[in-house]
Amino acid sequence: MRQIASVTKTVIAILFLIPLIFTLLVSLRPETEPVTKGNIFFGSELTFENYQRAFVIAPWSLHYINSIIFVAGVLLVQLVTVTGAAYAFARMRFLGRDLLLIVILLQLMIPSGVLLVQNFRMINTLGLFDTRIALMIPYWGSAFGVLLLRQTFREVPIELEEAARIDGANLAQVIRHVYVTNAIPAYLAFALVSVSTHWNEFLWPFIITRSEGIRPLTVGLNKLIKTTDQGAFYGQLMAGTLIVIAPLVILFLLFQRQFVESFARSGIR
Amino acid sequence: MRAQSPRHSFFSHLQPYLLIAPTLILVLMFNVLPAIKTVTDSLHRPARGLNAAGKAPDYVGLQNFQDLFDESHYMGARFRRAFRNTIVFALATVVIGVPLGLLLALLLNHKQPLRGLWRFAVFYPSLLPLIGAASIWSFIFSDSIGLANAVLKSLGHPGLNWLGDRNLALLSVIIVNIWKQAGYFMIFFLAGLQHIPRDIYESASLDGASDLQQFASLTLPLLRRTLLFVIVISFIFAFQTVEQLQALGEGGPNDSANLLLYLIFQNISERRNWGYVNAMTIVLIGVVLTFTIANFLLFERDEGN
Repeated sequence: MRQIASVTKTVIAILFLIPLIFTLLVSLRPETEPVTKGNIFFGSELTFENYQRAFVIAPWSLHYINSIIFVAGVLLVQLVTVTGAAYAFARMRFLGRDLLLIVILLQLMIPSGVLLVQNFRMINTLGLFDTRIALMIPYWGSAFGVLLLRQTFREVPIELEEAARIDGANLAQVIRHVYVTNAIPAYLAFALVSVSTHWNEFLWPFIITRSEGIRPLTVGLNKLIKTTDQGAFYGQLMAGTLIVIAPLVILFLLFQRQFVESFARSGIR
Repeated sequence: MRAQSPRHSFFSHLQPYLLIAPTLILVLMFNVLPAIKTVTDSLHRPARGLNAAGKAPDYVGLQNFQDLFDESHYMGARFRRAFRNTIVFALATVVIGVPLGLLLALLLNHKQPLRGLWRFAVFYPSLLPLIGAASIWSFIFSDSIGLANAVLKSLGHPGLNWLGDRNLALLSVIIVNIWKQAGYFMIFFLAGLQHIPRDIYESASLDGASDLQQFASLTLPLLRRTLLFVIVISFIFAFQTVEQLQALGEGGPNDSANLLLYLIFQNISERRNWGYVNAMTIVLIGVVLTFTIANFLLFERDEGN
């Protein structure tokens, strides 16, 4: 049984890794040599020419900056909106609380990703087409974040808040020093899910932007895919793909445990 | 009782509403109102004929839906194929991907050397952008120089047209999806396994139960909730994750591998068929909503209010 288990494990792991390994290998092979020619792994020589060519087709550094601004802009606003709402739903009593929570949870039932047409029109009406704001704004409110932090805030002992109040802390100070400080792991989990989700977003950025100057990496990669269609330059496509996926793979290697835990909480997002 | 000035109390009554206002307004703007607007727009069609530009759309009742469900209509035929493919795609992911995720969790649950590496090997695909994953597989499936055909040819098989053959294109997309999702499903099972106390296995082993018997009589029943949860979310995801098609044949020859949301996306990109796009979105929302509500009824209720 043990042996069957470790053989199965090894076979699956190798099968799963093959695409990544060959992406790397193909990106380093001379463009003119298919995998079937020369040495299966390295071809006749190792070369970086595919990376150079990929850089000519799409301005990757620009797309990197755009992706970073996009995910950071989404996350920073989310942290504010989510914290306020989570505190209100966790610790305040007010008329209509349950109803308003249900309205917010509608986001989980009707994700904006399937409402492409109407959101596209809404952005046009607001005159925001092809702007950074248009990219980010549908993601600024997060029902998943509200749910996650509301749950976490409820587990913070109420005595801590009372003590802070007696010391004269106002609402903003209570939220910041009592709740946020005690919910750092939940914030990290939320941030990892938010960053990796938006880093990977494609349909919305593709529809709502036109200028290269604000388009994120995924849209740049799409352009490379469309170029490759015509000439089958897979070496440069694999080089471009690695350029796009590298940050997430590195982030995962750094935060492996947190990633697994936070993704486990993200079934609803 | 502390005396409060009326001003102070007015503001403290307003406070919770101010705190939730940003989230509430955003959800209304980008989820609730668009959903409602989709319903009314699905009953309309852009005005046609001379001087149509700038005119209000025509009310057509349920005509858009009738066309969609009419096989002889060109949009109906496309919708039918995309919808059927989406169901096949979702079912295949559930039938193959979910058990694979469970198997991986069982294999990688206990402490072992290099556990981090094993988990990386199976989990990294779920981190990649779908379009990046698809780009990788577009090379593997490539006709002339792809890896899949290189392997087939070394075995003496002439090779397959993975993305161009109408009988194979959907299967190729399904393979990519299973590779991408299995590790993601695994982590829910890993979380579920952690809640099973160790000692029940010890007493079962003492009673002479084999590993397989323990799995069937202990692990599987105790993981039932996780299993249901993963099945439901894999259905929900199947209807929402379509951008891999951008690199994997764009829906295949004659829509043979097209998926519903991607068909919607294609029409938006081409700026046409707005009435049908809205009607198809209604169908899509209907499916996603059904599964999400099922999810809530099954799981959220007892997480406590």
